[in-house]
Amino acid sequence: MWKTIVRRVLLMIPQMFVLSLFIFILAKQMPGDPFTGLITPETSPARLEELRIQAGFYDPWYVQYYHWITNAFQGDFGRSYTYKIAVSTLIGERGLNTFWLSLLSAIFIYLIAIPLGVLAGRYQESFLDKSITLYSFISYAIPTFVLSLIFVFIFGYKLMWFPTSGTVDVGLEPGTMAYYWNKIYHLLLPALTYAILGTTATIQYLRSEIIDAKTQDYVKTARSKGIPMRKVYTRHIFRNSLLPIAAFLGFTITGLLAGSIFIETIYGFPGMGQLFINSIMSRDYSVITALVMLYGFLTLLGSLLSDIIMSIVDPRIRID
Amino acid sequence: MEQQNNEMVKFENSPPTGMQVVLREFKKDKLAIISFLGITFLIIGFLVAAMFLNQEEILKIKLLERYTEPGVNGYKLGTDEAGRDMLGQLVIGAKNSILIAFAITIITSIAGIGLGIVMGYYGGFIDNLFMRITEFFMTLPNLMVIIVFVTIIPKYGIFELILIISLFQWMSTARLVRSKALSEGRRDYVSASKTMGTSDFAIMFKGILPNLSSILIVELTLNFAGNVGIETGLSFLGFGLPPSTPSLGTLVNYARNPIVLSEKWWVWLPASILILILMLGINYVGQALRRAADAKQRIG
Amino acid sequence: MKKNWLLLSVIFAVMFVLAACNNDGKEAAKTGDGNKEKSTQTEPNKEDTAKFPMEVKNEGDAIKGGTLKVALVTDTPFKGVFIPELSDDAYDSTILDYAKNEIFELDGDFQVKDTGIAKLEVDKDNKKAKITIQGDVKWSDGQPLTADDLIYPYEIIGHPDYDGVRYDDDFENIVGAKEYHDGKEKTISGIKKIDDKSIEITFKKVSPAIYSVGDGLWGYAAPKHQLESIPVKDALIASDAVRKNPVTLGAFKIDKVVNGESVQLVANEHYFKGKPKLDKVVIEVVPSTSIGEALKTGKYDLAEHYPTNQFDSIKDLSNISIVSRPELSYSYIGFKVGKYDKANRKNIFDAKSKMNDESLRQAVGYAMDIESVTEKFYQGLRVRANSLIPPVFASYYDGTLEGYHYDPEKAKELLEKAGYKDVDGDGIREDKDGKKFTLRLAAMSGSDTDEAIAEYYRQNWKEVGLNVELTTGRLIEFNSFYDKVKADDPEIDMFMAAWKTGTNPSPAGLYGEGAEFNFSRFVSADLTKMLEDIDSEKSMDPDHRAKAFRTWQEYMSKTATTMPMYFRTELFPVNKRVKNFNVDYANETKSALQTIELTADAPVK
Repeated sequence: MWKTIVRRVLLMIPQMFVLSLFIFILAKQMPGDPFTGLITPETSPARLEELRIQAGFYDPWYVQYYHWITNAFQGDFGRSYTYKIAVSTLIGERGLNTFWLSLLSAIFIYLIAIPLGVLAGRYQESFLDKSITLYSFISYAIPTFVLSLIFVFIFGYKLMWFPTSGTVDVGLEPGTMAYYWNKIYHLLLPALTYAILGTTATIQYLRSEIIDAKTQDYVKTARSKGIPMRKVYTRHIFRNSLLPIAAFLGFTITGLLAGSIFIETIYGFPGMGQLFINSIMSRDYSVITALVMLYGFLTLLGSLLSDIIMSIVDPRIRID
Repeated sequence: MEQQNNEMVKFENSPPTGMQVVLREFKKDKLAIISFLGITFLIIGFLVAAMFLNQEEILKIKLLERYTEPGVNGYKLGTDEAGRDMLGQLVIGAKNSILIAFAITIITSIAGIGLGIVMGYYGGFIDNLFMRITEFFMTLPNLMVIIVFVTIIPKYGIFELILIISLFQWMSTARLVRSKALSEGRRDYVSASKTMGTSDFAIMFKGILPNLSSILIVELTLNFAGNVGIETGLSFLGFGLPPSTPSLGTLVNYARNPIVLSEKWWVWLPASILILILMLGINYVGQALRRAADAKQRIG
Repeated sequence: MKKNWLLLSVIFAVMFVLAACNNDGKEAAKTGDGNKEKSTQTEPNKEDTAKFPMEVKNEGDAIKGGTLKVALVTDTPFKGVFIPELSDDAYDSTILDYAKNEIFELDGDFQVKDTGIAKLEVDKDNKKAKITIQGDVKWSDGQPLTADDLIYPYEIIGHPDYDGVRYDDDFENIVGAKEYHDGKEKTISGIKKIDDKSIEITFKKVSPAIYSVGDGLWGYAAPKHQLESIPVKDALIASDAVRKNPVTLGAFKIDKVVNGESVQLVANEHYFKGKPKLDKVVIEVVPSTSIGEALKTGKYDLAEHYPTNQFDSIKDLSNISIVSRPELSYSYIGFKVGKYDKANRKNIFDAKSKMNDESLRQAVGYAMDIESVTEKFYQGLRVRANSLIPPVFASYYDGTLEGYHYDPEKAKELLEKAGYKDVDGDGIREDKDGKKFTLRLAAMSGSDTDEAIAEYYRQNWKEVGLNVELTTGRLIEFNSFYDKVKADDPEIDMFMAAWKTGTNPSPAGLYGEGAEFNFSRFVSADLTKMLEDIDSEKSMDPDHRAKAFRTWQEYMSKTATTMPMYFRTELFPVNKRVKNFNVDYANETKSALQTIELTADAPVK
């Protein structure tokens, strides 16, 4: 297995390379540049032109790309044109926010989806099953922002249970318990919204896994031995059905990272998704490129992780 | 002669899936039948109704009719901030959205199925090559790249939207078809056809493809539902169609304005409910289809 | 059957939840109608852009200290560059308003007055300006403000490694600035320290703009003792001195920052006007979608950058008073009548261009129902503009100009006379040669409202027989828009945009022969003369300058190559616990922050 993992990791290098070339050229094709947004009578067009030349925007693309990629190899992804700090610092900061949000969302998703999926599968075609299926379809169909806005209004403003923007209150001293609790408190509402809308796949998957398992030989054998159904569920079916879900963890996390664009925009949550949209608007090339690279890398990593976990939990599956 | 043999081989080897099973599953599931009839009726209804509407008249701006409430002045669903009839916009929007989702589903399916089958059937170098390309596209963060694309192209309308989304949506179908075709390709009927000299093309599309049909139908139905969602999402982020081309996405997105969300429900709620109904219907149909495709999931 | 009921009941449940959210919405809608009637009864004065008072005073005894909670309404995190030399962002500068190092104070005409930290004396004959610190002023860390601190910002902006936007032609107007920037000199030769309290700057030329801190003059001091040791190249802008704990001369000093989200400021005991009565100011970013609700529930005392299109959310709130003031900006529609010659940095007027027909341009203007748009879509928060100078500049603004009000008959008449006639009888006019005639309009995308407004104007034009199409077929995103307009894209005949004027209304940078921002590319000998007159030495006499401004405004109005569309109003919702708040440019609370007081421990709900 180690050999295949090494091979997959090595394969990532050319993939990332092609991705970087692709996104670099694409980003430069966008009309305007980071200085277009600075147009006011108080800024001189000549100065903007000078800054463009300084930034190398008039060099041929392969020269620009060469500069960028050589720096990138040394871990320097350039400086954000809008925020004027190193891209790695900026993405590090925002990425961490998104990471916590995704992690908490993932926990909520599993907390909601696992019991519902198991129940639906166990009591297949019952009223309960149908309600759960209906919920999962509805949550799939509701646009994220509609539910988010409604939640913000109800829980944030009407009931005042949760804060409505940002990641942490400004007055707190970083490092204290209160500070971390406050951070989690800020995450709760967006994460919950996210989780409620993100359970469909897990519920449906778990449900069909369990229905599948019911017809498996080991269940039949266990039943024929007179083991009560409840025990069969807890000892066998549940375990076997959950393993693939665990294996999907990698995919789930990367999926959440990508999906965070909507939630972050509505909750005014400074994370990577929101950063991406803003960077597109302001043509912040260095951030756009770095973010797409990061997402690409995470996707690759996520699928590799999932494959590895899968092959560990189910030795019949060989990864290649 | 060749044709006949091929038919024979297929007949002997195809498992008992296909339309009969689908019908049987549907008969057992009233909800699926209702859903199926419902969405078919809705889709055809909207397409036909849209043909009889005067789009220019509906999209005309009438400042005096601004935010007319439903039922007033003959506007059954009221008007938006520019005095445009919401019912008319709903019909046109639904038509546009349905056509967009259809077009994307068809384009991506053709591409995905074609590529998938070729990869799975030939294997080896071709498989490897196309698999790398597919993988490359899968590493791309779809939504992000679509957004970058949308900002680049100089003209942006329904047609361009369909092409751009399609460009980044064919991979999962291709992968699914490939893996199925790979296992299907090892079956006896395929090697039998080969020794009989049936052309590769015929084996792929007349031999293997029909055997994948049930899985494909499920995949396509769900893709269709997903594609409605993508258009809505893009509109929300500000990269969707302009209001002069209404779609369900643009209509729902009027709710971004909190005043519209809380006070002018007639502007966005009907479109939202329509999306909800379409999605539910499609998913119920998809569920029944999935049961047909997978014996273990069947009821009873 | 059961299943259907389930489906239905869920849909109803969803609708119920949504309806619940609407509850108080309905009441608001009703009262909203009432308001509409009122506003139509009292026809608002077209020239008066302020719909609300500029000042609010609330009764009640002030509490001791307290925290002012400010909402910064934006959907993007702020950048967090807290020194003016490096900042180029509107939200950062709003935060900086509470802790700014401004050394001059401006009057209602945006001219330097004597009450600021420093005094400005101009010696126009020798092209010199003397800046003197008045009295003992201290930085927020207790260090005294010295002449070195007045010079240091020039050394930052002029520095060879400086990569901000403040270094420009204006800055090069300081003698020796260019040499310093090119690395040929170690100091700026035109800037001299006279003594500990005063400096002298020599310019290549001085114009009236110098009194509104133009001509290269810089309005801020920089704490040299704090910044000196940090290299300008890359390090300065990333340093804590700029982002976390800048030393300031303002009423408050920055205490804590959560990057991109919020800032906590505390009273600056060394503030030269005295220690503020408040203990703290907390500024938080609030998304535009929820600011209305946030104000309603009393989360904030004040909202900055409140989106005017959400006026409805606050107009009936009982815990909020609204103050407003005219913005220093105008929206316009421009007509392309030439090209920009990049090599020679000059606009070249093309007499043969499609839009070079005064009657055509005027007809386009008369055909637009700007009055209805401002009333219906902007709810009176924008008004039809009659001039390219916002009325705030009272001494320069020409209130007598008629501008182009809605008059479709006149538009038709003008077109008819100019030879644009409907030859083939399809209701659309052909050009002078009887060929099909289409105008292409470029407009910027923004909200859904922008789209509707563009459509409405196209309908207006159609009514007078002009076929107007949108360049690219839809509204154009900001970056592409300016890319196209700047490059004189042949697909653009006319374009809608806006200018923020800043405090110096001199139009030379926007309409001059060499100005790249002169997007209509209109140039004439008369115009050049008028523009020169506005910034001439003669215009150091305010009366002469006022006259020069008027001549120019009348000329621009008649030639109509750039036609003003709207003046805008800025809204500031203020909670009732804020004792007094004034946004009048001449008498802003923002320049007397030490006086703000609160009358309750928490914002009124």
